[in-house]
Amino acid sequence: MIRILIPSVWSPDGRTAFEGAEGPLPDVVRRFADDHPWIAGRLFGPDGAPLLHVNLVVDDELVPRRSRDAAVVGAGSTVTILAPMAGG
Amino acid sequence: MGEMVHVPGGTFQQGSPPWLLDLLEASDQPLPRIWFADETPQHTRVLEPYRIDRHPVTVAEFAEFAERTGHVTDAEERGFGLVYTERGWRELDGVSWRAPGGPGTSSKGMGDHPVVHVSWLDCVSYAEWAGKRLPTESEWEFAARGGPEFRIWPWGDTWDVRNANTAEFHAGALNALGGWKAWWEATCAEDGPIPRTTPVGAFSKGGDSPFGCADMGGNVYEWTSTLSHLYDDATECDPSVQAAMGRYRVIRGGSWMNFRHQTRCSERMHGDPTGWSSFAHGFRCAKDA
Repeated sequence: MIRILIPSVWSPDGRTAFEGAEGPLPDVVRRFADDHPWIAGRLFGPDGAPLLHVNLVVDDELVPRRSRDAAVVGAGSTVTILAPMAGG
Repeated sequence: MGEMVHVPGGTFQQGSPPWLLDLLEASDQPLPRIWFADETPQHTRVLEPYRIDRHPVTVAEFAEFAERTGHVTDAEERGFGLVYTERGWRELDGVSWRAPGGPGTSSKGMGDHPVVHVSWLDCVSYAEWAGKRLPTESEWEFAARGGPEFRIWPWGDTWDVRNANTAEFHAGALNALGGWKAWWEATCAEDGPIPRTTPVGAFSKGGDSPFGCADMGGNVYEWTSTLSHLYDDATECDPSVQAAMGRYRVIRGGSWMNFRHQTRCSERMHGDPTGWSSFAHGFRCAKDA
């Protein structure tokens, strides 16, 4: 299992931590959106393509846009979803 | 170019006191307490005298910079920038400081508005060209408060919608995300996602800080030079804010998009400095005295 963290203002009840299954990073994000449809619009455009301005941090390492397709999230890892502007 | 005000420097308690977070939690605004935790705890900062722009950098000032240096912004080079649509933040092709709402829009006629669609690196380049630098977040907050005394907004502790370009200036009183979304959807349907900036100084003198700095609450978010960090590593804050620490740069002042409580002097946001820019982000410069 992996841990997925999101901004508190993105979830309907302020929850920030979720569990998911390990695997390729694009699949992890896609599954997370499938399991929690309320976040899909934050992560994917109307055409279903990932919104690349949303940053992804895996175990404290920011994954560059160009490296996302090849990134793999191992069991026990944490994926933090980070908007280009945080806080507020 | 860029009238500056002298700030005498001094010692102050940067950040928000606990009573302010209590006030935010009890007030009619929709954001959770944890969202503001990065403003705490208050801590001592000592500032040497410095100068800071009275206004955010304008479209006309940035145009002169671009004309004289040939500077191409990150948004121009990438071919897209971020605007907030009915579906949230989206990368829109053709958006730049010259066309802040995308193809078919123009910043001509907005010379006295703050420039937008400038990345952190664009702002640093401008500041160097102007013989200035970006302010630190401590300098920004001290200038907004007008000295060591704590105050919620640059003009004082009582909200006045006539003093700042916020979403409430455009939409009327807002205290829920639903009301904000309804306003923005209606606005986009009418004019598209173009920035609702106002000429710099349009809210002077009522909205000015005691040092005479204008537009420090609202109008445009302002980049600072400060690398995002927690005031205390033990502070429990939103995980996305935590992830921004050490990566993003501090943004201050809120913008025309925000609720009143997001345009406070001690309010902090954190922006991706690797080329990202939006139709609500601008900056002002500072200089050693």
